[in-house]
Amino acid sequence: MFVTDIRKEFYDVVVNQRVALFVSPDIDALCACKVLQALFHCDQVQYTLVPVAGWQDLGTAFMEHKEQYQYFVLINCGANVDLLETLQPEEDSVFFICDTHRPVDVVNVYNDTQIKLLIKQDDDLGVPSYDDIFRDDEEDEEGDGDDSGNESDGSAEPSGKRRRYDEDALERRIERQRARREWEARRREILFDYEQYEFHGTSAALVMFELAWVMSKDTKDMLWWSVIGVTDQWVHDKIPHMKYVTDIATLQRHVSRHNHRNEDEENSLSIDCMRITFEYDLRLVLYQHWSLYESICNSCYTSCSFKLWSINGQKKLQEFLADMGLPLKQVRQKFNSMDMSIKENLREVIEESANKFSMKDIRVQTFAVNFGFKNRFLASDVVHAAAALLENVEKDEMPTDNFIKALDCLSRSNLERLHLGIDLAKKKLKAIQQTVASCICTNLILSQGPFLYCHLLEGTPDVKLFSKPLALTLLCKYLLKFSCVCVFCFIRSFFGRAFEKAAESTSSRTLHDHFDTSVIELKMEDRGKFLDALITLLS
Amino acid sequence: MPTENLSDKRMSKFKNKGKEPTKMRDRRIAECVELRKAHKVEGIMKRRNISSVGDEEPLSPEYNTDNKQVISEAIQEIVANVNNECPEKQRQGCQAARKLLSRERNPPLKEIVEAGLLTRFVEFLGRNDDPTLQFEAAWSLTNVASGTSWHTQQVVEHGAVPAFIALLASPMLNISEQAVWALGNIAGDGPSYRDALIDCGVIPALLARLTPDAPVGYLRNLTWTLSNLCRNKNPFPRFSAVQQMLPSIIQLLHHSDKSILSDACWAISYLTDGPNERIDVVIKTGVLPRLVELLGFEELAVVTPALRSIGNIVSGSDLQTQAAIDAGVLSALPLLMRHPKSSVQKEAAWAVSNIAAGPCQQIQQLITCGLLAPLVDLLRNGDFKTQREAVWAVTNYTSGGTVDQVVHLVKCGALEAILNLLQAKDAKTVLVILDAINNIFLAAEKLGEVDKLCLLVEEVGGLDRIEFLQNHENNAVYRAAQALIEKYFSEVAGYRCT
Repeated sequence: MFVTDIRKEFYDVVVNQRVALFVSPDIDALCACKVLQALFHCDQVQYTLVPVAGWQDLGTAFMEHKEQYQYFVLINCGANVDLLETLQPEEDSVFFICDTHRPVDVVNVYNDTQIKLLIKQDDDLGVPSYDDIFRDDEEDEEGDGDDSGNESDGSAEPSGKRRRYDEDALERRIERQRARREWEARRREILFDYEQYEFHGTSAALVMFELAWVMSKDTKDMLWWSVIGVTDQWVHDKIPHMKYVTDIATLQRHVSRHNHRNEDEENSLSIDCMRITFEYDLRLVLYQHWSLYESICNSCYTSCSFKLWSINGQKKLQEFLADMGLPLKQVRQKFNSMDMSIKENLREVIEESANKFSMKDIRVQTFAVNFGFKNRFLASDVVHAAAALLENVEKDEMPTDNFIKALDCLSRSNLERLHLGIDLAKKKLKAIQQTVASCICTNLILSQGPFLYCHLLEGTPDVKLFSKPLALTLLCKYLLKFSCVCVFCFIRSFFGRAFEKAAESTSSRTLHDHFDTSVIELKMEDRGKFLDALITLLS
Repeated sequence: MPTENLSDKRMSKFKNKGKEPTKMRDRRIAECVELRKAHKVEGIMKRRNISSVGDEEPLSPEYNTDNKQVISEAIQEIVANVNNECPEKQRQGCQAARKLLSRERNPPLKEIVEAGLLTRFVEFLGRNDDPTLQFEAAWSLTNVASGTSWHTQQVVEHGAVPAFIALLASPMLNISEQAVWALGNIAGDGPSYRDALIDCGVIPALLARLTPDAPVGYLRNLTWTLSNLCRNKNPFPRFSAVQQMLPSIIQLLHHSDKSILSDACWAISYLTDGPNERIDVVIKTGVLPRLVELLGFEELAVVTPALRSIGNIVSGSDLQTQAAIDAGVLSALPLLMRHPKSSVQKEAAWAVSNIAAGPCQQIQQLITCGLLAPLVDLLRNGDFKTQREAVWAVTNYTSGGTVDQVVHLVKCGALEAILNLLQAKDAKTVLVILDAINNIFLAAEKLGEVDKLCLLVEEVGGLDRIEFLQNHENNAVYRAAQALIEKYFSEVAGYRCT
């Protein structure tokens, strides 16, 4: 069921309990986790944090903790499957699910006792009504008891005695059966419509922040985490732009409230102060921590508009730089070392030139944070850094270590780690850029009619990197933009169901372990038949 | 990609796949109940706002009559009407009773009996001057007799049997049909009423109505009633009665209506479910080729009883089994072993297990007709009940087959399949499998190839399983496993018996 009073029905329930906290490996989940951890620390709630990478992990984690814990909090996992069916818990286990995955499984919605959904009701949920999908079967079962019940199957021995029914009763029964069949057909249709597309709802971090807020326990750190959570959804194309803008507006109100609160404090600009500002900043990845040139080359928005993989694209880039009137030397050196005079109105200069090159959306509403005087980060910088740490493939580290490191880099006391993350993110973005360019130059992107298909050959550099869902998502986003197709099909994706169907019909060996059902693993040999089935399904 | 070894694991984790079905069912039921409860409460709340109950289901006459008070008033009125001298009132009362007894839910059988109405109803059966009254009474009594044994007993003890048998001859087809139905209910109660009916001469009276121009609906009822007269053991219906009915049943077995075919087949299955002399009577009618033909029908309602009959027959003597083989059973069975319905697979496997229990000539025919491949398939993929029958088939085969035949079976993959089944929870099945393994070793001994067999068993992981069974809680299993190990595996390098 949906929780309406998140404080009473969730926080007050767990505050005196031991809680198992299962967190999915994505940045929004990490941020939600940070907010909740801060609240738990504040109220001295005992909890165990377990990162869960997929359904298998979730099952194992639950098995390991079900004895000691009664209350489970699931962040960004669990809402889109019938959780009780999946985990087979005892009757007294209670699950609080704060998950952006949509659609929410209907059984989760209508279970009143064990499933508590911490999901904003104003999201576009469209849950079918109870009567449309569940039905009291008693009447029909009773009526079928005597003679005709067995006939439907035909394999049972006939009954020794039979009662003769009234003609009307018979007709009523036939009528009821007909109505039932119609109802079932309608139910299938409703469920199909409901479950067909997958998408994401309001950021988990934002939901958790609002919990802190209603309890008047919100801090600037929490607010920053929820900013990162929402930004993650935007960076990884989980929500459409409109939703992003709406949520940013919500956050902006909180930001001004917090800034206002601190205005009269004397130490408002001390060395360890934290200041969040709303910005209309550039859509250039990590540009304040890179050189402007590198950033332009590796940002999805610019590199795609210029078609940088082509010679023509490179030329355009040069023209663009010339148009801005920025010396190449300045552009190529570290942003930090650029002349102050250039930096002063850089955003305006870039916007003006970008407009000429039909990049009208080079600026976007976002937030920045200042830690003391020296360190300034855009929200998207942190998202990229944390994602790179989370999916670090450089050393063969345990996924749990990566998880903890990514979590740590979100704390302001750990800026060093954040900088490490930024370095990793740069490598990752370059790798994506190179992979995309090589895919395009070698014609690896094939149109299969209803969808585009790209197969990275084994042995491609960085192929290991793309075995991780976030990196893969980012790669796909770049690929799609490069191929000049709109990206919206990603935001409402039908691939999840289609993948399931295609795998089932061809009995391909697939692993649907990710919480995002549109990321699956497939055995190489089954690729051909799987693709054929997918093409048929989607055309 | 390490998908393959992971896929099993994921199957057990993801959604419903790989869950134990019973557990899943429990969960589903529990969940449904939960949901239903929530729904109920809501429903109750809704209903409270409604003052007049009548709006709920205005079209249903059942609704008003569900409470005791209303029913008892209705029955009082029926009693008054039925006991009235006026024929119109009697018809009215009888019809009202029939309607009460024909409603779908909670028909007041007991209340009608206790109101003392049965005496009058049986009387009405004899009112040849008033067919409507006869019909209503016959229908009412039919429904009372459809209840528990107590209800049926009430009808019989009020003297309804002779009256119904007399009604069979009624010129009004609907009345005669209702009598057929009522008698079917009485016969279906058990062997004693069945024989009582036979003693009253029900069979000739029924068979007299079996004419080519009888409508299909009528014949369906008639066939069902005849099948009930063949039904039940302890004791079986007497031979003379069976002999009387058989020709007509065989005749009905050639009808085109599926429902008639189904009931006629069930009649044959009842008659063959007994000692060999019972089976003989059926075989002598020459029905076997038709039964085999019916095995190939599409309708489950026909295939199931036909297969049951065949299964009964091949469980008889070797000669009887041979008769079934000669009629072509072996060419029909492979398809049934691959039937989509697991209940059919199970019955087919059961039949095969009985044929495999025969002499080696019959085993040879199993091989020739290609039954081993589907049998091994069932061992591998059937549901547990089917696997159990298939295991029996292997054990029977290996105990009666020649050495060559046993070797052939092993080559078809049966050994590996039964070794896999050693993990079954059912101790009886495990014992049967160990028996089969022992038989196979005996054959290997004769060929002097015990070592080769040992190697094969070990290769497919069978040795581990047999060793594991030495810890089985069931004594017989543990001893059988230990005997096998001691006898054949104690010399395997590095292995020491414990």
